[in-house]
Amino acid sequence: MTRSFLSIRAVRKTFGAFVAVHDVTIEVPKGEFLTFLGPSGSGKSTTLYAIAGFQDPTSGDVLLEDKSLLSVPSHKRNIGMVFQRYTLFPNLSVAENVAFPLRVRRRPDAEVKRRVADMLALVRLENFADRHPGALSGGQQQRVALARALAYDPPILLMDEPLSALDKKLRQEIQAEIRRIHRETGVTILYVTHDQEEALHLSDRIALFKEGRIEQIGTGEDLYLRPASEFVAGFIGNSNFLPGEHLETAAGAATVRLADGSIITGLTAAEPFSRGQKVRLMVRPEALSLTPGPASTALQVDIVDTAFFGDRRRVVARTASGDEIDVRPTSDATDPAGAIAGSGRRIYFDPALAFLFPA
Amino acid sequence: MLLDYDRLGWLRAALVGFTAAVAAFLLLPVVFIVLLSFGSSRWLAFPPPGWTLKWYEQLFADSTWIDAALTSARIAAMAAVLAVVIGLFASFALVRGEFRGRQLLRGLLLTPMVLPVVVFAIAIYAFFLRIGLAGTTIGFVIAHTILALPFAIIPITAALEGFDKSIEDAAIVCGASPLQARLRITLPSIRIGIFSAAIFSFLASWDEVVVAIFMASPTLQTLPVKIWGSLRADLSPVVAAASSLLVGLTLCLMIVTALLRRKLSR
Repeated sequence: MTRSFLSIRAVRKTFGAFVAVHDVTIEVPKGEFLTFLGPSGSGKSTTLYAIAGFQDPTSGDVLLEDKSLLSVPSHKRNIGMVFQRYTLFPNLSVAENVAFPLRVRRRPDAEVKRRVADMLALVRLENFADRHPGALSGGQQQRVALARALAYDPPILLMDEPLSALDKKLRQEIQAEIRRIHRETGVTILYVTHDQEEALHLSDRIALFKEGRIEQIGTGEDLYLRPASEFVAGFIGNSNFLPGEHLETAAGAATVRLADGSIITGLTAAEPFSRGQKVRLMVRPEALSLTPGPASTALQVDIVDTAFFGDRRRVVARTASGDEIDVRPTSDATDPAGAIAGSGRRIYFDPALAFLFPA
Repeated sequence: MLLDYDRLGWLRAALVGFTAAVAAFLLLPVVFIVLLSFGSSRWLAFPPPGWTLKWYEQLFADSTWIDAALTSARIAAMAAVLAVVIGLFASFALVRGEFRGRQLLRGLLLTPMVLPVVVFAIAIYAFFLRIGLAGTTIGFVIAHTILALPFAIIPITAALEGFDKSIEDAAIVCGASPLQARLRITLPSIRIGIFSAAIFSFLASWDEVVVAIFMASPTLQTLPVKIWGSLRADLSPVVAAASSLLVGLTLCLMIVTALLRRKLSR
């Protein structure tokens, strides 16, 4: 990280006795695509609104290039924002919507015209300039909103769940557009979503929020491959949790006894555990396989159900202690469905994608 | 559905008949007045023995009728403008405000609609007599503005409630000051509500008679007061002609409203 661009310093926001945001601190370098990910009510939107100026933090500071934004009213912060709901101005055409921020800045007509054309080209809606927002689909409206937010070349673009009202296919399409636009413009983007796939797809870094705190911040790979807590592991990607007991840790490799009595070795522990401490073992479904591997990573299970999903299968297995395990082997690497079913099977897992957390 | 219109059977005919009867009951008096205004009988006999335009000639020849109509229009226009402006501010407070007693304030602002008009008329007349506003245009306008206020507030609050505040926030992030955002984005977006408010406020004043009778002076009479006065003095068909014009103008305004609403909402 070079010189600080956007600094969110110990921002705290309370509503009466309820603490929506607990002293959140983030440094955002210029040009980064940072996503605030988390369940609803985790404080991610509140933090974004503090940056936009719609909510004053109870304490803490927000600095852009070392200058505090807090005393600057929203309309003078020069920040771009795309909202969750459709916020195109219904009384103006698409072109006039994109021109609006330039008009209030009293830019010369020729510049406004050129800029509007550039922006509509950027979001590929050149042919819709004269339409009114009511005549656009949801996806088109959000693209116009994006063009409008970028028209005045803001240093930061805030996006508050901009795709949550769209259907899945459209969402993926516009995600690709957003990636391209981020690449082409180099604008710093803070993006709020509760959709982990969207966060993984779009972001340079993800800040995972839980109950007003940042649980972990890092790249998608950091969060997926090195989750700091059970919450992170459960929120990013799919996971199975198996209860057990920690036996010992030697040279960074932990050994546990699971509820069904099987002993598993060679696990990565997120923190030091004491002997006999109750733990939960998290295994990614795609880290499990029916192909034989070392006995130290084998689980004795009954196959409860199998289903075919084209590139993958989904197999539901159950341990002797009654814990259900979701397995997602690639379909070509697996026996035909009939051969999978049955009781007394062994499944094997990759210890690199298994994590140990305190129960 | 239990009451599906297509499955009502014989009830359907009964329903149509009943609806037609209600419509006739509401419309027939108006139709009679209009017919009588063209009838040649001096005594408003029905059916008219012949047809004539002479009552309209007499109406337009009498400057007191014209004056009354102009006075009505002037007062109604001023009351409408005031009611819309006050209604706008009130609606922003009622819809966007977060303060104690908001519902109470809403109720208070809407009381002129439910309060018996004669009670309101006596109260405001007594008050205006004391402060010297009785019989003045200003007094008239104030009284009618109060009566028109609910008719302005109801459509404006409805339009404002249907307008997403995020759109205004978006305008502010775009660099518009809160005032600019409201003037350039919010107001144009709720213009149908504002327009309805103006028309209804105008009409609330235009055909108001009870308060007007109290507020009127020999030199300051609105059209409904003049009609009322003429009815009591002599039952001339000129009154029917004046009433027909009143109905005609109201009808025109309603049609214009409907057309404009359709155009604006597109």
